[in-house]
Amino acid sequence: MRTYLNRHLQVLFAAIGTFARTPFASLATILIIAITLVLPSILYITLKSGQQIAEGWQGRPQISIFIDTELGAQEAKLIFAELSLHPAIETAEFLTPQQALEEFTALSGMSYELDFLGENPLPASIVAMPDQENSESDSLQALKTELEKIEGIESIRLDLEWTDKFNSLLNTAERTTYLLFALLSAALFLIVGNTIKLLIMNRRDEIEVTKLVGGSNAFVRRPFLYYGFLFGVCGGVCALVLLYFSAIYISPALENLATLYQKETLVYQLNWHELLCIVAFGGALGWIAARLSVARHLRHIKPR
Amino acid sequence: MNNNILRAEHLSKTVSTSDHELTILDDVSFELNRGQSLAIVGPSGAGKSTLLGLLAGLDTPSKGKVWLGDSELTAMDEEGRAAVRAKMVGFVFQTFQLLSSLTALENVSLPMELAGDKHALDRANKYLLRVGLAERVNHYPKQLSGGEQQRVAIARAFACQPKILFADEPTGNLDQKTGLKVCDLLFELNEQSDATLVLVTHEQRLASRCDHMITIDDGKLVESSLTNSQQ
Ligand SMILES: Nc1ncnc2c1ncn2[C@@H]1O[C@H](COP(=O)(O)OP(=O)(O)OP(=O)(O)O)[C@@H](O)[C@H]1O
Ligand SMILES: [Mg+2]
Repeated sequence: MRTYLNRHLQVLFAAIGTFARTPFASLATILIIAITLVLPSILYITLKSGQQIAEGWQGRPQISIFIDTELGAQEAKLIFAELSLHPAIETAEFLTPQQALEEFTALSGMSYELDFLGENPLPASIVAMPDQENSESDSLQALKTELEKIEGIESIRLDLEWTDKFNSLLNTAERTTYLLFALLSAALFLIVGNTIKLLIMNRRDEIEVTKLVGGSNAFVRRPFLYYGFLFGVCGGVCALVLLYFSAIYISPALENLATLYQKETLVYQLNWHELLCIVAFGGALGWIAARLSVARHLRHIKPR
Repeated sequence: MNNNILRAEHLSKTVSTSDHELTILDDVSFELNRGQSLAIVGPSGAGKSTLLGLLAGLDTPSKGKVWLGDSELTAMDEEGRAAVRAKMVGFVFQTFQLLSSLTALENVSLPMELAGDKHALDRANKYLLRVGLAERVNHYPKQLSGGEQQRVAIARAFACQPKILFADEPTGNLDQKTGLKVCDLLFELNEQSDATLVLVTHEQRLASRCDHMITIDDGKLVESSLTNSQQ
């Protein structure tokens, strides 16, 4: 076991040595792998950030019900009472036109312009929250059509409408991310495979002699598998560095956005688990790509 | 269990070129007993190297069978033949076939390490001493002369104590004086080790030092001092 480990270590160091002897070619390959890994990673982070934002909204859909402005305050209160007793509605809050205006001025800071209008243009409204069973998109939609039939209700807006839109957007982004991951993995396969092929061709004589003196295929194959693995791992580490610098570049813009959304941060932070995953993914892909390449090209080299 | 170390049965090798099939080797059969030496002679292009490659399991025949010891090489896959080579075969070639990235010592110990020998380095040192290269163990092939490289190859061939040794014109790339010294070394080590020697050569003088001789011409076995149960 010990000698087995020793032999593997020896081959590993020899592989590192080959890297050091051809630094530019190796670095080029490593950088291409890194970029290939960075692109889907950035998409993944964007996706996760979006999901983080969406999470804040979910679980509490709101129904905004606007009362006909023609209706008097008394009749509006009656509608509020009716809604409060509706079995599907858990809580409901009544907003007089005056309260609605105050809330709007506080949020927008447009008090001056509104004063200028002279008269409050806002209707009375009711903000209702459905109970758990009716929080799903479908039942919420049914509730909306039901309430719309009540006389005196001008219009109803579901908060969910654009949560839904955002979610379907995220879904699209998710699929795109995975597709990109798959496509770029294929590209990575070709890159590593081709690099290994060139290495094999360069060392053809060496392979022939090793096979001549009885080297098994496993023995001849091993250094190339290490190359593939090392290329992948180095590419992964390089990708992390690139991601770090990308984050530094993008984050001022995102911080701006974050303050707009009154959140501390919008950017999803990769945890160490995911960081490790990127490196391991590079390594594993490199290894497998090398294995396939070696299987294709070593077969044609006969002992001599 | 018979006394054969090497047996060839109706060996043929054809290769297909662009327009026709080319027969390089045509129905060659013979058998060789343990511990004896065999010279394969014949004009250039006769098929000697091809035959040697088939006997050593480096290549596969189009027809026929090869036994090396108790192993039928022609029934094995590439991995199996490599394992047999690692276990019982040594090589000395005209072009030395040393690994340029390894030192003399590493070149000699590599086959033993492949065969799982724990004392590979000790033995490699010992054999380099025997071929007179004790001072050069840590030199790379390109730092050595042709004769010295061939001595490294000889040390490598004998260090793993092969049952059979294949040599293809081992003196072909050396001047006469150096060639003679290398040959003396080859025969001397061969006698001490009881290995079977199969030697391809142009030189009548070298061939006459072997116990037996077969002549190949145009892919056919035209003359043989060996008994042959197949014919
Ligand atoms: N793979 C191949 N494809 C086509 N022709 C081949 C191939 N291998 C060998 N030959 C031909 O087969 C013939 C025998 O080759 P071989 O190398 O065995 O000759 P040889 O007796 O060793 O000659 P020399 O004494 O010059 O080394 C030659 O004509 C050679 O060109
Ligand atoms: Mg030849």
